Amino acid sequence: MTFSLPNSVDFAGIHNAALIDHFAAGIGQKAFILTPSYPFMFIGQIVSLIDNHVELLVETTHFAQLENRTWIINVQNIEVFYIEFPGEPCIPELNDMV
Amino acid sequence: MIRRFHVVAIPIRMVVNNFGDHNPDGQMYVLKENESKVKELIRKNPFTPVDLVQPLTIRANEGDVVEILFENQLPFAAGMHFQDLDYNVLTSDGANVGFNPSSLAECGEQLLYKLDATFEGICFFTDVGNVSSTEKGSSIQGLFGTLLVEKRGSWWTDPITGGPINSGAFADIHNPFLPSFREYAWFFHDEMEVDDLTGNRPLNPMTNQESESFHGVNYRYEPLHNRLRLVEEGVVSPEVEGEEVHHDSWMFGDPATPILRGYRDDPAIIRLIHAASKETHVFHYHAHQWLRDPGNVQSEIVDAQAISPQSHYSIQPLYGLGSLPGTIGDVIIHCHLYPHFEAGMWGMNRIFDTLQDGSQCYPNGIPIAPLQPLPDRPFPPRPTKERPGFPNFIPGKVGCKAPRPPLGIVGGRDMTELEKNAAVPNARPGAVFVDPCLDNPVVVEFNISVIEMPIVYNKQGWYDPKGRLYVLDEDLDDVRSGKKEPEPLVLHVPAGTCIRINFTNRLPHILDGDAFQLVTRTYEVGFHIHFVKFDVLVCDGANVGWNYDSSVLPNETARYEYFADTELKAFFVHDHLFPVSHQQHGIFGTIVVQPRFSQFLDSKTGEETDQGAEITVHHPLIADYRDFTLFVQDFALLFDKDGCPIQPPQFPGSQDDPGIFAVNYKNEPLQFRLGKECDPAYSFSSYVNGDPLTPVFRAYEGDSIRIRLLQGAHEESHSFNLHGLRWKSERPSNDSQMRSQQHIGISESFTFEMDIPRAGDYLWAFETEEDIWNGTWGLIRAYDQEVEDLIPLSDQPLPEPRTRPLPEVTGKPPAPADPQSTLPPEVAHNAPIRRYSVVAFQTPILYNSFGDHDPYGIVFALEEDVDDILSGKKNPEPLVLRGNSGDLVEVTLTSKLKFDLFPFPDGIHPYPPVKEQAFYPPSLRISLHVNMLDYDVTTSSGGTVGFNPDQTVGPGETITYRWHVQDAMGTCAMWDLADLRNHRSFGTFGAFIAEPRFTTYLDPYTLEPVRTGTNVLLQHPLNDRFREFVLVMHDGVRLEDKHGKVIIDPLDGVLLEPDEAEDDEVDTYDFGSRGFNYRTERLINRFRKHPVLGDLFSSEVHGDPATPVFEAYPGDPIVVRLTTPSERRRAHTFHIHGHNWKFDPRDIESRIDSYTGHMVVGVTEDLLLIGGAGGTYNYPGDYMYRAGNIRWDIEQGMWGIIRVHSKVQPHLPPLSH
Repeated sequence: MTFSLPNSVDFAGIHNAALIDHFAAGIGQKAFILTPSYPFMFIGQIVSLIDNHVELLVETTHFAQLENRTWIINVQNIEVFYIEFPGEPCIPELNDMV
Repeated sequence: MIRRFHVVAIPIRMVVNNFGDHNPDGQMYVLKENESKVKELIRKNPFTPVDLVQPLTIRANEGDVVEILFENQLPFAAGMHFQDLDYNVLTSDGANVGFNPSSLAECGEQLLYKLDATFEGICFFTDVGNVSSTEKGSSIQGLFGTLLVEKRGSWWTDPITGGPINSGAFADIHNPFLPSFREYAWFFHDEMEVDDLTGNRPLNPMTNQESESFHGVNYRYEPLHNRLRLVEEGVVSPEVEGEEVHHDSWMFGDPATPILRGYRDDPAIIRLIHAASKETHVFHYHAHQWLRDPGNVQSEIVDAQAISPQSHYSIQPLYGLGSLPGTIGDVIIHCHLYPHFEAGMWGMNRIFDTLQDGSQCYPNGIPIAPLQPLPDRPFPPRPTKERPGFPNFIPGKVGCKAPRPPLGIVGGRDMTELEKNAAVPNARPGAVFVDPCLDNPVVVEFNISVIEMPIVYNKQGWYDPKGRLYVLDEDLDDVRSGKKEPEPLVLHVPAGTCIRINFTNRLPHILDGDAFQLVTRTYEVGFHIHFVKFDVLVCDGANVGWNYDSSVLPNETARYEYFADTELKAFFVHDHLFPVSHQQHGIFGTIVVQPRFSQFLDSKTGEETDQGAEITVHHPLIADYRDFTLFVQDFALLFDKDGCPIQPPQFPGSQDDPGIFAVNYKNEPLQFRLGKECDPAYSFSSYVNGDPLTPVFRAYEGDSIRIRLLQGAHEESHSFNLHGLRWKSERPSNDSQMRSQQHIGISESFTFEMDIPRAGDYLWAFETEEDIWNGTWGLIRAYDQEVEDLIPLSDQPLPEPRTRPLPEVTGKPPAPADPQSTLPPEVAHNAPIRRYSVVAFQTPILYNSFGDHDPYGIVFALEEDVDDILSGKKNPEPLVLRGNSGDLVEVTLTSKLKFDLFPFPDGIHPYPPVKEQAFYPPSLRISLHVNMLDYDVTTSSGGTVGFNPDQTVGPGETITYRWHVQDAMGTCAMWDLADLRNHRSFGTFGAFIAEPRFTTYLDPYTLEPVRTGTNVLLQHPLNDRFREFVLVMHDGVRLEDKHGKVIIDPLDGVLLEPDEAEDDEVDTYDFGSRGFNYRTERLINRFRKHPVLGDLFSSEVHGDPATPVFEAYPGDPIVVRLTTPSERRRAHTFHIHGHNWKFDPRDIESRIDSYTGHMVVGVTEDLLLIGGAGGTYNYPGDYMYRAGNIRWDIEQGMWGIIRVHSKVQPHLPPLSH
């Protein structure tokens, strides 16, 4: 038995659209994102979706010098993420030791 | 493009510094166009250094063909042997090897070498026509140089004139598509002949004995003893002691050694080469870091790198000169091995902030040579009266010690007007001329003092009466009162932190004299740091060049500031003013830069802490881990409980390896752990002897751990081995090789990250014979059930409540282990089982055709081979076992050792010697330890360690170990752990090769399947066939000659009589014979038969060597499996002529090398030869593999041949057969 898929299905597009929808639903929520490129980690509030880019008000990254500013992250560059929807587990508090 | 050079090898007088020290018998390569000029300059300047006398550095581009017309004016056949280049071995090897025609030139002759510059990088060249280790040898006397291969399309200019150059150690390199950069060739070399102005060997004015031998850079050295004489004669400020001003240009002017000049932020590459001949040095470059593997961004960041003879690295400082903060000033570059540093092995990187066009002078009136700015960099500002630039804003006084920095000393001075003009707007203590801290980071402040107090090192009461150590101020009372055990200072900070230190000198002014040292006025001390970012002018904790003296006087407090910009590793801290005098007493520590957001907990109480060699780290995102720090030490100057010095030198003040070894101010010598039964097999057993005093780190089964490995003191190489665990050698990379061994030299720092899969006691050890004998070992203990004083990791399951009592000391050996009762932690269900039956027994081993032999050999062999070996039908070779990825390997070991067959039944093993010789009778028990494989440490690690059961076997007994081949990792080392003193150097070692799944192993001659062997064909359904050559490189062997006389190598094997006795140069760990695979082709045997140096490697003259001659056809895929399971501390280099390989065979971005450095106990390497047999262009011929140490390896027999046949041989089927 063989299983064939119609050529017209754009899986990458479906994947992207689902991601965009998910992030759009998370506008105003806090998100945790890992990317393969510098500076690798972001934690902050989702401000908006611009096309397929997430606008994130970043509270925490790997490097303190790059925090407290808005980052625009392409959803295709997101490898790992978690959006803290109400009632769901919290993203850990990350505090510099003083 | 063809580049042509005419190179001449000439004898030459080398003046090595401004004091007239010189080598009357120097030898060097020089371009023909400079030959008469350099000879004339030397005739006119017999007592001062001549710039043209420098190691020949020539350049070409990738893809170029290089033709070298070589002319020899030396009185022996000489050549140029190139590493890393491709060439026809029959014509251009610069050697006379095997059945090749000689490519050496006789005296007065010329010949042509044709070379292909295939890869960018360093192509070191040297002579192998005369490999004598004496001052009659060529490499030791300076006959070396380098071809630097640049990126395609590059060109190079003189940094002073901007004009073109044909040779020179320094050049500016340009490329149409790449940034221009400064290129500096830096040749470390040691043991060269050197006389003072009077023609005698230089004397040390402090000891009135001969000074340390030559340790220099680029034919120059700047030893303390010369500068000290100027102090003693009152030529310069006479109130100083000496060592603290050794590098001070305010006192003495600039050194004769290289000063690498550049402007702030210039891109730069230091081409670091260890040209000759003996020691493994550690290259350290203050205030800068670089990638260990420059093309691989996921390789480790280092700022100190051990380098063995005939090895080389490209050092590309991250962020360019001045590093991230753009610091300016004099940045010292040196060998970190303190006796070498004192002997003159240092220079500087001078970073200017203003334009140098030749119009400026240094403070002492010496003109500053022009320095062309790099064309694609911003033009440096011109100096003005208000802003003269470094060094002319510093308020120093020529002839006196450098001034103290402004703001830095509590209660000290403010800035002068010129300093204010040069300072950053927010200048503050420790950060005056650059701001090292980006943005406004979190600040962590520590108050640290350095104190002197006695430190007891072991249970026998060995102690250092003048222990000196860093202590947090809040712990001063507890440490001094004995309430808190002294340990090296280990502090922890998160990444991204600004670190501020208030550092107080509480040392007495005087380091008192004793059997080890002369009275020394160590009146000032600093806190020098590695890795972090800082203002090198004021915060180096040192006194270098025209910088400030950033140390502190007694009872004063200095303020330093550093920035830990990212997660680093454990950064080393130590004194830089009197380290030669007192660092070995304990003045070293570390600050560990942990991941940002970490929390540091006391592993016993769970309370927050910021210090300790053993802590627990909690992190909200990544896995929690235990953090363990180890500092290995040598030159520990200890006294026994009766006050007698332990291993004092011949005279106080000698740097000739005084003292003993330790870890974290503790040691646990094996001589005290024989137990009642006097069996070395239980030396590591806590049942018999209790736990060692050295660190026993603790964790629960399943915990993640990080080991911070450092060396605190003082001169020597050490080999860290961890039994039963393994880590990625490049921690950030997923493609990295696995390792369970690491060579370390002083100031290097390594972090190893791994999980502990199963409860048990894991042995860590600095495991060369003399180290471990003297107690450099301890344990990592993993519990399977809860213990009271160890908090669990928050992200691990809670340990089971304790139902079984903890083991206790019984004084008796433990019960035998039962490996069949457990499986290795990572093994899959129903893994294929591969079985080997191995017997350990005694048999003579014939090492070569000259009759050099070991009558007391102890070997491991497969059971089916024992009869053939005992009957003499087979001369044994080290046992090589193999398994495929996924296999469960069951190795049944039987001991057939007989007491009567040991050479020293009285229990004293006199040769090769170790320090602190003592009664330690041979054990009849034996074991088989393998590194890197996956096994249950309580049953199959091959050691009776801690509270693990007995894994050794006595005569007639048998044990079956279970090892799991978790991956195709390649070479793993095997050795006996039952008696490291009486077994290993006699042959109880071998190798295990972890091959890819589905591999079969064939005899290369019969193509029949084989179960062991050092030369096999690997057959794989996908990879096709590979030739696999296994080389076990080993030393410390006790050989007898054909008359039964013990051979005292290296002395008995030295070619050409040395002018002076070299006994003093032979350290304990140099003794013993050496070779590959139980064979040695000592050149002295050949030389006695046919005393022609240039023919020593020739098979035409001498026949093939006794060492392996591996055979292949051009292009055959070859993997060389290389390991050193045994046994001394002197590190070796391995090199194959005409072949290259990837430094990390798993990583496509890894650098390309033709050598492997720091070969010491436990090293495992897999060399996949690029292009296969015959190199990139598959040239047939005889290729020498050999050690890189001229002193004392090559002449001692550490060499052999890989023979690449041009035609099919009847006895050797081609791979495609």
